[in-house]
Amino acid sequence: MGVQVQPVEVTLDNCIKCNICVTACPVTAVTDRFPGPKYEGPQAARFRHAGQPSPDLSVDYCSGCRVCNMVCPTGVKIAEINARARAFMVERGAFSWRARLRNNLLARSETIGKLGHPVAPLANALLNNPLARWAAHVVLGIDRRAPLPRLAPQRFTAWFQAHPKPSGATRQVVYFHGCSTEYYEPRVGRAAVRVLEANGFQVIVPPQNCCGLPLLSNGEFGAARAYHRSNVRKLVTFARQGHAIVGTSTSCTLTLKEEAPELLDAYDEEARLLAEHTFDLNEFLLTLAEEGTLRTDFQPVPLTAVYHPPCQYRAHRLGFPAVELLQLVPDLHISVSQVACCGIAGTYGFKREKYEIAMQVGRPLFDLVRQEGVPIVICDSETCRWQITHATGVPAVHPVEVLAVAYGHPPEGPLASLLGG
Amino acid sequence: MTQVEVLVIGAGLAGLVTAWQAAQGGRKVRLVAKGWGALFWHAGCVDVLGYYPLDAANAVSSPRQALAQLVREHPRHPYALVGIERIEAALSALQTLCEAANYPLHGSLDHNWLLPSAVGAFRPTCLAPETMTAGDLTRREPMVIVGFEHFRDFYPELVADNLLEQEVLARSVRLDLPALRDRRFVTAPLLADLFERADFRQQVAEALRPKLGSAARVGFPAVLGLRRAVEVKRDLEAMLGREVFEIPSLPPSVPGMRLHNILVEAIQRQGGEVLTGMEAVRADAANGQVQTVWTEAAARLKPHRARTFVLATGGLLGGGIVAEPDGTLREVIFGLPVEGPHERVQWFRLDFLTPAGHPVYSSGLAVDEHFRPVDADGAPVYTNLFAAGTTLAGGEVVRERSFDGVALATGYAVGTQLAAQAQEAA
Repeated sequence: MGVQVQPVEVTLDNCIKCNICVTACPVTAVTDRFPGPKYEGPQAARFRHAGQPSPDLSVDYCSGCRVCNMVCPTGVKIAEINARARAFMVERGAFSWRARLRNNLLARSETIGKLGHPVAPLANALLNNPLARWAAHVVLGIDRRAPLPRLAPQRFTAWFQAHPKPSGATRQVVYFHGCSTEYYEPRVGRAAVRVLEANGFQVIVPPQNCCGLPLLSNGEFGAARAYHRSNVRKLVTFARQGHAIVGTSTSCTLTLKEEAPELLDAYDEEARLLAEHTFDLNEFLLTLAEEGTLRTDFQPVPLTAVYHPPCQYRAHRLGFPAVELLQLVPDLHISVSQVACCGIAGTYGFKREKYEIAMQVGRPLFDLVRQEGVPIVICDSETCRWQITHATGVPAVHPVEVLAVAYGHPPEGPLASLLGG
Repeated sequence: MTQVEVLVIGAGLAGLVTAWQAAQGGRKVRLVAKGWGALFWHAGCVDVLGYYPLDAANAVSSPRQALAQLVREHPRHPYALVGIERIEAALSALQTLCEAANYPLHGSLDHNWLLPSAVGAFRPTCLAPETMTAGDLTRREPMVIVGFEHFRDFYPELVADNLLEQEVLARSVRLDLPALRDRRFVTAPLLADLFERADFRQQVAEALRPKLGSAARVGFPAVLGLRRAVEVKRDLEAMLGREVFEIPSLPPSVPGMRLHNILVEAIQRQGGEVLTGMEAVRADAANGQVQTVWTEAAARLKPHRARTFVLATGGLLGGGIVAEPDGTLREVIFGLPVEGPHERVQWFRLDFLTPAGHPVYSSGLAVDEHFRPVDADGAPVYTNLFAAGTTLAGGEVVRERSFDGVALATGYAVGTQLAAQAQEAA
């Protein structure tokens, strides 16, 4: 069923200045540098005009977590107003070349992965070298403490090509792996493929690109548009054939569904088709459950965990599909975090001037993880997992990794050391 | 999978109370809302009935007596449907919940408090949190009203001057605190956060003590902490040697947020879900029953199936009912018939301040004795759809000062009724 979309700029007229967003904003709560969603969004937007300077550069401190959108009682798309304001600043040259270089380095995860992967051991050594991190901190503004990921020895797609296809598949599904699964955490993709295959799917992994979200949230709309167009071109055929395109990275699927079309005004038929056929993996599995075709013969997974639904997951407005699924797994005990955001917000917490803010934003979550004393955290978004582990030392996995184990596959990564691989 | 039994739409006081009562009664509850609701704009008290009859010269002093008269004279008022006994039970249930959260609400139907408003007017209310009751304007002890430089949502001079004109001994004090001086923005939530820190309270008390003179009590804007307000108030009282009270201020309202948090946590403790960012946009029905409510989500609508559905989306003010350009009133999700003037010329009377009120303000949904919206013949439109709060017809909640009471009482009535059905089924 389709959705009537109200253009971003139009929604600002819905603002009644009630300040509910200001009470909910996790960034405003910890820093004076961001006065709050109402001021930066609908209020300042009235003063942003082509050919005039932006009224307040502090909008760059919006992390884009979309908590404001979720609590607004009148439907103002505050986070999108802020994202456009940042793009407006980029366009007007309000950022130094050094800031833009840094932002582009952080936001081009696909390029970094492509360049880094062939020399993975060297790249990993460099990324973990304190001297190199100091240099990046001082020269580029990438915080030396921020949780940079490690390149995996084998890319996800290389594994997938070698992976024997199951016989007897009765249906097909397309998997959107995203950059982090491809280069850093291929175990998430392996788990997704196993879970989908366990439910009788032949998994198709077509050529694809970065969803463009990191660029969108850094105001680099031109480059983001190129990625989005390329994805639409590469994936729309599958949408036309009626295939679901499922992803394990919540922010990638949100970008294909909504963020890219909305921010880039990409409302052409093809972009819409792709959006309507894109699903978060848990959302997709739940639709199977509702039609009675999800395998639920789960084996016990004796674990106690905190589950944190990322802000970008809540922004799908689906409730908590992962919780509904995980509750079906015997012996798995989860407590659900009510904390709005872990702070990292994609590339935000990697930036020198924002690292401390990001850590403060996530503090209630880190406290919860420590207080619960769990051996593992379950969380759908990669950067959130890295942030949580960075702050607490507790490893974090994607829900699908737990489901794969519950379907009888040997545990990998952090689950292997907990459950005995 | 989660089998939702009761889907509540709306996160204002009525929706939250319905969900809390239904969940407490053992039902699997999901509450969906477009965003957070009216509690964030709310004084944090429970106004049951402030003015009745509406042309009376004085505020109601005993809500119980005035309610008896209202119920007699307006059998279609939401209060008449709930009945005084259940109104009292609703108040008492909320008091018990808040007491357990260390945030007692004081008062009863026998007596209205008269407390100062943000402009220094007399504000009749039935239940007030412990943090506000020392502001009782029927007492004679002189008071000092405290404001803060850089906090632009509270004007102590305005409050004190207006109180003085009404023969309440009040004067104002403004504090210029170092802790606020280097802040770019001083908001109510920020102050609430600061007040929960002992060092900030110390700073406030030290700055304030020399300015108190013979005042017996001290009124602050309602920012004395979000989670530990009573503790904060008592600590300030100990340091100042005087009684302390809060005066509700502009939104966002900290006392409203406290009630909101207490209710949301109560729902979650009972296994209920509270989801925002989910605007209900349409519904499917078959055989006289609502089957599915659809909420707005990324790229598609999300279906919610349940056994019973509760509409608590508010009236014209809350957005549950909207007016078309031609003056027609429309309920937005189910397209239920709205009782009220359907031509713009009939909305208002000619005299702006007429004691008879304007017809459009009592518009809303007509319901049966089970709070099910009814059609023109008085039959329920759907057998499993209920309505609570100010979406209901027949009240004039703003002029009566009955907004919170109507929301609480009808939410309680619907929630307990659904809980009882669960017990019958079990």
